Formats: sequence, C-alpha cells, structure tokens
Amino acid sequence: MTLNATILRLSAQALLGRRRGLVLALIPAVVVALAIVVRALTESGTGYEIVNAVGFTLALPLVALLAASAVLGPEVDDGSIVYLIAKPVPRRVVALSKYAVAWLATMALGAVPLFLAGLILQADAPSKALAWAVGGAVAGTTYAALFLALAALTRHAVVAGLLFVLLWEGLLGGLLSGIKWLAIGAWGREIASAVSSAVDDPGTGLTYAVLASLVVTAFSLWFAGDRLRSFTLRGDE
Amino acid sequence: MPEPMPETPPTGVIHDLGYRPYDGPRQTGRHIALALFVSGFRNAFGLGRSNKSKVLPFLLLVINLLPAVIIVGAMTLFNLNELPLAYARYASATQILLSIFVAAQAPVLFSRDLRHGSIALYLARPLSSAAYAAARWASLLAATLVFLLVPVIALYVGAVLAELDFGEQTRDAAKAVVLAGLLALMLTGVGGLIASISLRRGFAIVSTIVVLLLGNGVVTAVQGIARDQGELRVGEVAGLFSPYSLLRGATTAWTDEEFVLPRGSGAMSATYFVVMVLVAIVLFALLLLRYRRIAGR
Repeated sequence: MTLNATILRLSAQALLGRRRGLVLALIPAVVVALAIVVRALTESGTGYEIVNAVGFTLALPLVALLAASAVLGPEVDDGSIVYLIAKPVPRRVVALSKYAVAWLATMALGAVPLFLAGLILQADAPSKALAWAVGGAVAGTTYAALFLALAALTRHAVVAGLLFVLLWEGLLGGLLSGIKWLAIGAWGREIASAVSSAVDDPGTGLTYAVLASLVVTAFSLWFAGDRLRSFTLRGDE
Repeated sequence: MPEPMPETPPTGVIHDLGYRPYDGPRQTGRHIALALFVSGFRNAFGLGRSNKSKVLPFLLLVINLLPAVIIVGAMTLFNLNELPLAYARYASATQILLSIFVAAQAPVLFSRDLRHGSIALYLARPLSSAAYAAARWASLLAATLVFLLVPVIALYVGAVLAELDFGEQTRDAAKAVVLAGLLALMLTGVGGLIASISLRRGFAIVSTIVVLLLGNGVVTAVQGIARDQGELRVGEVAGLFSPYSLLRGATTAWTDEEFVLPRGSGAMSATYFVVMVLVAIVLFALLLLRYRRIAGR
C-alpha cells in the first residue's frame, strides 16, 4: 500500500499553514526553553523531571492531538472531506497518508524535543535523553494513531482525546495504578526504562508495552480507514 | 446604528418592505444583550441545542461533582469532623475538568457566530460589537461559575448538614467562592479570546488547554525546582504567569491551604490578587478590541 503524494501535501498544508504551525511549534519550544532556563540557573541534572512531567506527559500528547486532529478534523467538521473521499483513492490510503503527516509532526515536534531537553538538562547522560526520545517516539506513534481514529469517528475527537490523556492517563492514572495497563504514556515510559535504567518503569513489562502499542496503533489505523470507507455526512450541531 | 427620525414612528431596523408594521413595544439594546446572555448561558450547557451537545457539558459537570459527593459521603460514613478536601482546594484539584469545560464550551459561544457569519446578523440589530462581546463573555463567565460553584455548594451543604462548625464552614466556603470568581474571570478571558481568534473548534480547544494546563505545568515545574533550590522568591514570581498558579498563590495567601510553595510575604500575596484582576481586565479589553475589529470589517 502506498501513500498519496497529493494528500500528503494537502495534509501538511493543513497542519502547518497560517497560524496553526506556529502553535504546534510553540509547544516544543516551551519545553526546550524551560530546559534551557533551568539549566542556565541550576547545576547539571537538576530538575530533570520536567522532561517527564512537562515534555512527555503534557507536550507530547498535545502535539500528537493537535497534529492528528488538524490533518482530519477540519475536513470532517465542515464536510469537505467528501470531496477528498470522492476521489478514486482507496480510503485506507487517505487515512494512512494523513497519518504519515501527523506522525512526522509528532516525531519532529514531540519526541525530538524530549531528546533536546534531556540533553540540555544533563549533557553527560545522553542515554537517558535517548531513552525519553525512544519512549516518546513509541508513545507519539500510538497517540497519533489513536487520535486520528477518534477524529474519523467523532466531531468531538479533540475533547475525547483530551479526556483520555488528561483525565484517564493523568488524573486517574495517578490515583489508580492499574490504569498503566491501559495508558499509552505508561507503555512509552516502560519502553524508555528498557533503553536506560535511569527512567522509572511503570511495571507492565517490556513485551506487553511493545505489543499493546503495536496493537493500538494498527487497530486505530485500520479503524480510521474503515470509518472513512463508511463515512456518513452530518450537519453542524 | 440608524439615525432616529424625529417625526416618523420607529420602523424596522433592517428593511421596511411595506408589510404590516410591528406596533408592539420596542425594547432597547440592553434587552437584546440580556436575551443574548441568557441564550448564551443556556447554550454553554447545550440547552436549546441538539441532544448531542448536552452530553459533553453535563458529563463534565457530573464528573466534576463526583469528588464532592464522595467527600461528603466519606465524611459522614467515617464521622470525620472536617472536610477531607478544603473548599479552596477543589478548583485546583479538578483543574483538568474545568480547563476542558472552558476550552470546549468557549468555541460554542464565540467561534460559531464568526465562522458561519451570523455575527453580521447580530450586529445588524441595534447592538454594539462591545455589547455583543460583553454578553457572550458574561454567558461563559456564568457557565464557568456554575461549573466551579456547584461542587463547593454541595460540599457546604454536606458540611452544614453534618453539623460541622457553621461559622467556620461559612467563612471557608465564602473565601472559596471569591477565589472561584477570580479564577472564572481569568479562564473566561483566556477561553473567549482564543475562541474568537481561532475559529477552528479543535484548534481553539487545544490552544486554550496549552495556555491553561501546559502553562500551569511549566510554572509548577519551575516552582518545584525553586523550592528544592531554596529560591522561594523565584518560585513566587513564576507563579504570576499562569491562571492556576495565581489561584494557588492567592489561596495560600488567604486561607490555611498550602500547595507547592509555603506562605510568602504579604506584598507577594497582595500581588497575586492584583495580577488576577489585571489579567481578567486585560483579557476582557482584548476581547472587546477583537470584536470592534470584526465589526469594523
């Protein structure tokens, strides 16, 4: 199955055009700027938890959510998606092409800044920074796929995604430790802890974390394609 | 606004096509703004809109109320002689729900009229752009206040019925109400301004969340590091840069609750309150400016 160059180009425009790209770039910029300020004022290694608390837990899912909903959300919102899916391009290719753009953005603006922030905060521990970047890359891949599926499923994809990340993984995940089995962030952290022991592992086991991420990503992508295949038009509420 | 003709009776505002004229009482712009406020307030909770639009606000409202119900239940069940969670901490504890509510409902009030162009119809009435913006702002403010105050009232009713000290509970609850009001003013400003600039719903929601929660995350991280380094002053100043950290600072200054930082100097405490009011005023002014520009097009 191949990607469609035109859809890739259009999705990239939807993602980066006008002010959207600015806000998307602002999120990682805040994380990296925070790392620079903290490093400039304190000793190396102080405040390393911001890579996790701000970068991995907040910025990464927000970038994935913004990217995934920007490539599909507005078209579903105003109904212009029908012009796209009326073209003789398989719907699964449409979904995959849009995913490719959202995924690239999530990697560049979500996972790479984790590496940069980690390296800035503690230059002599590149393996720890790399661990967060790898964990972020896996979690970002899964987040972007899940949010794309949500965007194909419902108009309220952004709110649903926020509830999943902030309420389920964030608030409830902090209270009920069993949520780690059903939290994309915890799987990413598990994978990060396998790369570097300096990262605390949530305790799901590496195999489960990798498999769960793969299954959710694959299922979400199939589901997004399937939703586009049987897309029904709805009016504005 | 049309020039009033001295001799002729008042006619239709947009066109007079010669149909039978309306000769009932004519109300002023104030009534239009009031009607707009009431319908906006209802719309914020999905009332007067489709059933689907009611799901999200009421779901959030119920989840937001759930901890209060659990707290009152636990208090009565285990015969506690104080609330396990203070009134003034409630907004901070549920800030995620509150942020999502404001972020998701601000576009309902601000973006839709702009995106569909129906703003032109509102402004064709004798309603100034400032009055329109103020009415919308007041709707969102009232909805946010309902969201903030319903759990506080539930806690208060539970505490009073459990016969905790009435004077103490009333004083603590009243302080929480004032703090909630200040917080609501800031959140309404942030949500309203972003929703009136960014007309794509999802984009406005994420932008608001970035400002409110990512901003709070950054400030909280800085405050934690500043506390560990013994530089409390840095943490206190950092607290001025996010609505929720302002709330925490003002709560620490005014009540017995403490968050990341211990209670600071008196001058800093006053600064938190002043900055909260200033942020609210500046955001409201920016909103009025934004709508003046839209009307001027």
